[in-house]
Amino acid sequence: MSDITEPQIMPQGAPPSAAKPAMGAATSRVDGRLKVTGAARYASDLYGGANPAHAYLATSTIARGRITRLNEADARKVPGVLDILTFRNVGDRIKPGKIFSQKGYMGSSIAPLASDRIQHGGQIVAMVVAETFEAAREAAHRLQIEYAAETPSATFDSPGLESISAEASSREGEQPGEEKPKVGDAAAALAAAPVTIDQRYETPIQHHNPIELFTTACAWTDGKLTVWEPSQNMYGFQNGLAEQLGMAAADIRVISPYVGGGFGSRGSLTQRTALVALAAQRLRRPVRLETTRDQGFTIATYRAETRHRVRLGAGTDGKLQALIHEGWEVSSRPDNYKVGGTDATTRLYACPNVDSEVTIVHADRNTPGFMRSPPEVPYMFALESAMDELAVALKMDPIELRRVNDTMHEPIKGLPYTSRTLMPCFDAAAKAFGWSGRDAQPGSMRDGEWMVGWGCATSLYPTNMGPATARVVLTPQGTVKVQTAGHEIGTGITTVLALMAVSGLGVDIAKVTVEVGDSALPPAPVAGGSNSTASIATVVAQACEQIRGRIAGAAVAAENGPFHGMDPAGLVLVDGTLRASSGASEPLEAAMSRTAGGAIEAYAENIPHGVPEGALKKLYLGQGTLMGGAKLKDRMQFAFGAQFVEVRVNARTREIRVPRLVGAYAAGRIVNPKAAKSQLMGGQIWGVSAALHEATEIDRRAARYTNNDLAEYLIPVNADVQEVTTILLPEQDTQVNELGIKGIGELGNVGLNAAVANAVFHATGVRVRELPIRLEKLLEA
Amino acid sequence: MPDQTASPQLSRRGLLGASTAVAAGPLMAAAPVVAPATPPVDPRRPVDVALTVNGQQHHLAIDVRTTLLDAVRTHIGLTGSKKGCDHGQCGACTMLVDGKATLSCLSLAAMVRGPVTTIEGIAGTDGTLHPMQQAFIDQDAFQCGYCTPGQIVSAVACVQGGHAASDAAIREYMSGNLCRCAAYPHIVAAINQAKDGMGRA
Repeated sequence: MSDITEPQIMPQGAPPSAAKPAMGAATSRVDGRLKVTGAARYASDLYGGANPAHAYLATSTIARGRITRLNEADARKVPGVLDILTFRNVGDRIKPGKIFSQKGYMGSSIAPLASDRIQHGGQIVAMVVAETFEAAREAAHRLQIEYAAETPSATFDSPGLESISAEASSREGEQPGEEKPKVGDAAAALAAAPVTIDQRYETPIQHHNPIELFTTACAWTDGKLTVWEPSQNMYGFQNGLAEQLGMAAADIRVISPYVGGGFGSRGSLTQRTALVALAAQRLRRPVRLETTRDQGFTIATYRAETRHRVRLGAGTDGKLQALIHEGWEVSSRPDNYKVGGTDATTRLYACPNVDSEVTIVHADRNTPGFMRSPPEVPYMFALESAMDELAVALKMDPIELRRVNDTMHEPIKGLPYTSRTLMPCFDAAAKAFGWSGRDAQPGSMRDGEWMVGWGCATSLYPTNMGPATARVVLTPQGTVKVQTAGHEIGTGITTVLALMAVSGLGVDIAKVTVEVGDSALPPAPVAGGSNSTASIATVVAQACEQIRGRIAGAAVAAENGPFHGMDPAGLVLVDGTLRASSGASEPLEAAMSRTAGGAIEAYAENIPHGVPEGALKKLYLGQGTLMGGAKLKDRMQFAFGAQFVEVRVNARTREIRVPRLVGAYAAGRIVNPKAAKSQLMGGQIWGVSAALHEATEIDRRAARYTNNDLAEYLIPVNADVQEVTTILLPEQDTQVNELGIKGIGELGNVGLNAAVANAVFHATGVRVRELPIRLEKLLEA
Repeated sequence: MPDQTASPQLSRRGLLGASTAVAAGPLMAAAPVVAPATPPVDPRRPVDVALTVNGQQHHLAIDVRTTLLDAVRTHIGLTGSKKGCDHGQCGACTMLVDGKATLSCLSLAAMVRGPVTTIEGIAGTDGTLHPMQQAFIDQDAFQCGYCTPGQIVSAVACVQGGHAASDAAIREYMSGNLCRCAAYPHIVAAINQAKDGMGRA
């Protein structure tokens, strides 16, 4: 085992992979060859079998109202058109489904073709099916649709909004009040505090924009449905679709071998899938839908805009005495979707007096959903910006401000963190960054015409786990098959699971096959909440241990064998042999000859700490129960990190550049440091993107998105990124799970938006509290 | 030249005229504008298209509006090249046409004359990975892998065209290929690793 024991500083390029593949060794991806040769098949590459018909969507040009006229005549004349689905022939044939927070599976309860009603801009109004993609597209453009438009409410400050407190719409599993952490008397403490901050912050609409489009292919065979669609939630899609179509889940199979980017966008079922299934049923032919990039902005979910008011009160020593965090989030008219990030921001620092409130604001919009670090990205922007403002007011180094407020117990209930390596992360990153050379005076660091700014912020992410199952098969020849309905969205889960088999069964990684992305496999939780590695690696390790136990048990019982009478727990499988610490050993094939049959198959189920009874049954029904973070009754489970950034602002043009990023993270045991580094690095770049690039603009009159393509929705390109250093700190956590694994998928991008804003303030003296930071906001500098 | 044994026969001039008009069709919904000397052509009638992809000849009868990307993916069945935007904004569809990095979603299949190389044609015929492919694995220059075919094809063109002299030059050349997982620093490292093994074309 080569688990890291001291900080691994990883600058440009990937860490070396000379080490023998094992848990903890930097290992190249097992699916690397498939991905670099074009042989990896994504759902979008699987067209639903031979000779599929092609579908194309038409979407609404208004955000609120009704369809008054829908003339298909011109569209029907296009040669090759086979069918057109509209509200007239769909209606109640598809059940709308409930969103996941209402114990459903959907990302939105707005059923697009249920009636003539339009509830958001870009809502699906028709699906044309034709012999070719080109004919379907032409016919969709030839549909003549007229509307009776009503004035929509677009976003914050629009007339006609409705609000509800998040507390009144608590998610399943939450106790009343969990969305409103409170302790002590924050108002009184704030009034008494010698140093205070009272500021408002805003984060914009953002869309995931994975590069793979939102495609779906459906085929029916003997009343059974197969669906090929990019998915982060195989069993959720299967069961949700069964509910919508009124059929048995067992008659639906969802296939999604590789996913071309998830980031949360494929976590809940969209309304398009059932439409494609219905079209394929009507035509008795496979149907493949390819949506456009701009349609992806409105037929799937997104990160909604948020507003915050943060009030901090501190003593002159920097110790927090009061913290009040209020948040407002936009959702659609019917759905109470919220991210509710105050459960983390109120528990991050020691503070005796805390209050909070989250409010959902309903507008005429598509329903938002989870996007990479859903609560933490907006809520930590607010808190970590406010902390920097407090450090400035105190004339205190921002790292020292975090240090005096560091705690091993969260302040609301006094629960202990299972592990917390926050300040070592700050110290390691500060050292690598050269923070000691910083002149705290804003505008004091200059390089020619560039104003230089250095900023930092805390990152944290809950360590979530869900129930999971897996099947592992070992043959006497040392080949292994690992099967679980997990999701390869680029996290490297297949490589992680192969490494678990290598470590548990002592086989060559080249002989391990990992199968994921198919609802016919044993269920695994949603690929969300950074839970996959902890949840699935744990259960695969358990299955491997069952196999080892069976082989070892037979070995110690065999009177003529080399292990007779030994403790079976002391025998290990390594390098294709069964071994005892005494040195006795025998080849795997010989050791396995004692057990009945050839191969050994093991199925394991794991229910993690704090997950209620019945969760496994719910997992099979596509309703995963993620537990962890601040939701446990007895402890706090979080991973931490420190984000450092240098910005350069041009003194003449206010152009903003980010020449370097340094992030240090501690997240328990790292199974594959090579892929972990890539994922954290990608997160760091996401953090810069959230600060400087990304925002979906909305037309406030029409409630429609205006920059809905990859040319105008800005994400970083290669030339935007220069030096990125990622540091992994060793951390042993014996409580989170048997293997000590925390999640890293969403840790890298939290807080970095605040670190950039803090650096921009340091460079220019201008505090930008509304993201993204663009040069026009710095013209006063 | 396209295989003209099957009907309808189409002069190059007529083909270009038809495809230009039809390309604007969905937006303008106007009748095709055809040069007076050319006989009228039904723009929706399949046209014969010959493509040489990875050294193999393909004869297709396809809608004249079919892009090179859709022809290769849907009609030939090589799905390594990806569609991320269909607007020339993401680079996932990049192929080499006549050796030049080309956005296949912005190229009509019927207009392509030169040989086409897709990601499936980058490795050796014996399966030996191209140095760029190996470098992408070594440097972990991808996560989800969906943009990777386009990245690798562009990266090969980057080195072959002499655009890999410095990190800054690589970043600039590769900025037409979006990677939402943001593997950019590793892509630069991969190109630096591969360029020595590739030599210069």
